[in-house]
Amino acid sequence: MATSTYLSNPTTTINSIDTTDNTSAATLTRVIEALESTSFGLTARVYVGGLENSTLTLTMYNSFAASETYATLKALVGTTTTVTIKPTSSATSATNPLSTLTGCYLETLPIVNAALGALDTIDITFTGGVYSVATS
Amino acid sequence: MTYTIASSKLGVIGEPFIPADGINVAALLEGGFIVEQSTSKSTKPAKTNTEPNEEI
Repeated sequence: MATSTYLSNPTTTINSIDTTDNTSAATLTRVIEALESTSFGLTARVYVGGLENSTLTLTMYNSFAASETYATLKALVGTTTTVTIKPTSSATSATNPLSTLTGCYLETLPIVNAALGALDTIDITFTGGVYSVATS
Repeated sequence: MTYTIASSKLGVIGEPFIPADGINVAALLEGGFIVEQSTSKSTKPAKTNTEPNEEI
């Protein structure tokens, strides 16, 4: 049983724009690439840390209205930007840390992901950049 | 060059926008989230001393 719980309700920004009301899922994964350093004489593979290559994947409701999803993302594909995510909308603190990827890259942007009778949603992934976390 | 917020998704409309490190300003402009305000003042045309019917 979990010793502490919180309702998953994060706030997100992309390029300083508040995208919370268009986002339904978010996964921030910190990745430090593993470089194998196994040598003769060892009996198990060993690794050392390489470059950081963290990712933030968001599921967003698509919208072509002014100031909505498409307007936010259309000029970002193929470029770098800054994204943030915080577990809740409360003030940034040690228990509600603000994570930032500065200079992360958006490689692909689905334009339309349509199905009859369903809302148009897209999955986007920001890759790389410098990870930082603020607690105040 | 200064920028003004044009969308409530970015902040208070009409307030100046100062981009933080890593922010893609071109994308904000293209998306209509900010507007650009030139800081250069328009210059007055130079005065001329020619008479109204004088040939130049």
